[in-house]
Amino acid sequence: MAEVTKGTRVQQPVIVKRKMLSTKSNLHGWLFASPWIIGLLVFFAFPLIASIYFSFTSYSILQPGEFVGSKNYQDLFKDDLFWTSIYNTIYFTIIFVPLGIIFGVSLAMLLNMKIKGMGIYRTIFFLPTLVPHVALAVLWMWLLNPGFGLVNGLLDVVGLQGPNWLGSEAWSKPSLILMSLWGIGQSVIIYLAGLNDIPEEFYEAAEVDGANWWQKTRHVTLPLLTPVIFFNLVMGAIGAFQQFTLPYTMTQGQGTPANSLTFYVMHLYDNAFKFFRMGYASAMAWILFIIIMSLTALIFMTSNRWVHYQGK
Amino acid sequence: MKIRGKKVGIFILALFLIFSLVLTACSPEESSSGGKEGTTEITFWHDATDIGLQALKKMVEAFEEKNPDIKVKMVYTEASEGADQKLLTAVAGGNPPDVALFDRFKVGSWAAQDALTDLTDMAAEDGITEDIYYPYAWEEANYKGKLYGLPYTTDSRMLYYNKDHFKAAGLDPENPPKTTQELEAAAEKLTKKNGNRFKQIGFIPWYGQGWLYGWGWSFGGEFYNKETGEVTANDPKIVEALTWMADVAQKFDVEDIAGFESSAGSGAMDPFISGQISMKVDGNWAISAIEKYKPDLNYGVTPIPTPTGTDFTTWSGGHAVIIPKGAKNVEAAWEFVKFFGTEEGQEVYFAELPGDLSVIPTVNEKLGRSDNPMLKKFIDILPNSHSRPVITEGQLMWNELVDARENTVRGKGTAQENLDKATKAVNKALEKYK
Repeated sequence: MAEVTKGTRVQQPVIVKRKMLSTKSNLHGWLFASPWIIGLLVFFAFPLIASIYFSFTSYSILQPGEFVGSKNYQDLFKDDLFWTSIYNTIYFTIIFVPLGIIFGVSLAMLLNMKIKGMGIYRTIFFLPTLVPHVALAVLWMWLLNPGFGLVNGLLDVVGLQGPNWLGSEAWSKPSLILMSLWGIGQSVIIYLAGLNDIPEEFYEAAEVDGANWWQKTRHVTLPLLTPVIFFNLVMGAIGAFQQFTLPYTMTQGQGTPANSLTFYVMHLYDNAFKFFRMGYASAMAWILFIIIMSLTALIFMTSNRWVHYQGK
Repeated sequence: MKIRGKKVGIFILALFLIFSLVLTACSPEESSSGGKEGTTEITFWHDATDIGLQALKKMVEAFEEKNPDIKVKMVYTEASEGADQKLLTAVAGGNPPDVALFDRFKVGSWAAQDALTDLTDMAAEDGITEDIYYPYAWEEANYKGKLYGLPYTTDSRMLYYNKDHFKAAGLDPENPPKTTQELEAAAEKLTKKNGNRFKQIGFIPWYGQGWLYGWGWSFGGEFYNKETGEVTANDPKIVEALTWMADVAQKFDVEDIAGFESSAGSGAMDPFISGQISMKVDGNWAISAIEKYKPDLNYGVTPIPTPTGTDFTTWSGGHAVIIPKGAKNVEAAWEFVKFFGTEEGQEVYFAELPGDLSVIPTVNEKLGRSDNPMLKKFIDILPNSHSRPVITEGQLMWNELVDARENTVRGKGTAQENLDKATKAVNKALEKYK
């Protein structure tokens, strides 16, 4: 014991000096970072934490409300529209996210071919992501118009009777998925970057072994693309759970037909800003957070089984 | 010493950065009062574009001329859900505009949230009473006996019908349907189908402005019981109205109608204008659209049919001018609200908008609105018009009624079941205000 104390005592002055130095430079660092830190605390951390409290109150934005315990949560489980919105959201996520990956990867592979004018093709497929959601909604409402829309017109040519798309309960969500798939350019860019990251040697080696195109895709491209697919899967699932602008503008907030397009965040928004039930909406937000968190955790847990990083 | 000076400099710079951030983020607009030589500037949020904006500007000019000590700063906020959210956060943040335009049917819920300035005393002092307005419009601007805004626009809904289609189908164009049975019979004669697609459709009850509110009242129902303070969307008459709508839907196959409905365009593509639909319920603004896109359309308007063929009614909405809670210049704002909400301002405003109706009967008279034979019918029915109940959950009620209609016409539950559910949901939400 004594020995240890002795030893530290010898070194103490040095440590103190270092500490003082680092405290001072730390202070300056914190000072310079403070605008950002204050912003983060005031506009992000505080509302975030406050919303936990609000979810247990009848807060309405304009009125502080009262503490109601877990009533908001209990009411939610009895709210039919809440369950409808969960069903719609999960339906959308389960179909859109995998389709987005399949189409995204295929498109990226097509756009990775070495042919002339590739820059133009890539631009064409990226352009839809620049279209604002509201414009996208209007555009597709015309395309999917059952009477004189282009889509049903084309189906007519090949002798098919097109459905009512956005007017029918059964087809409204598939229509929305179709519309959303049109805007996957963002993820295609990420896949393209991932494809370019795969070293040429692997393909050369595969070729030497006599692998055909399919075998190269199956055993070289896809495994080495899994980190990027993993990223897009997580981001895509989070995005899909937060689906809002497109269906909200398309149905003027009503989720028609027959609530088949009422998504979780739409119901949340209505409660928060239209029905003055911010407390209730906060409870919804936290349930959504838990759902997304557990889903992301699940994806992360399975990731070491199917995600292959280069150099590992 | 030099180093020390540098450090102090850094420290001051950092402090300066922090404070400038805090100050810019939180400083309210100080310029809103005390501009040039004792003039007061009031901020006015509106959602007008095109000719509506022209009319509004004329009205503001007239006001400023009359009140040289008040300047009106017009600020556009888009006319959608976003505008509400903007006003809501502005009021919550204690930095609202002085005056705003506001959908009248939301006055109840906003007043209950204490988000609007009580105008009762100021109105009483200046002698503004309900006498000059249509009764329903005044009622909508009041909540629990207190005035929260002055109404300015109104509208009403009627049945539009295509006279040429009537002739072609062997119906008398000068004798449009009066009862719902006649309406159904006419619709059947006017509907032409080609396979699954409609070439021409007679009538879709909920198309255009055919909301359940309108049909409920036309069938003699009441949506609200003032004594108990409870909504009565499951009133037997309203159930009857919705059952009738669902029957019509089944008759023409709802999926097919829905297909037609979502093909419906606006403007020149409006199916009534393009002759794809023979009858529709719509508001007075549709007259201007027809005049603009197809002035030679041979059409007529008639009150919305009722089961008995008597007691015709309609319902009306419209906007009000309000002062949000926490406005900085309430006195000047009230001068403006008063000007816009009474004859003087309304005459200037509505003179620019020949298709729109004022909430003040004498203004409509003075501007010769009844000279237009179509518009006259919309004005004539106004004294019998209904307005949506002034309740704290007006928006919820609206959404629940739309859901009930949607589900019923698509065969998801009966009218009774869906309306019971809607009634229960709204009444439950109303409980917390008691």
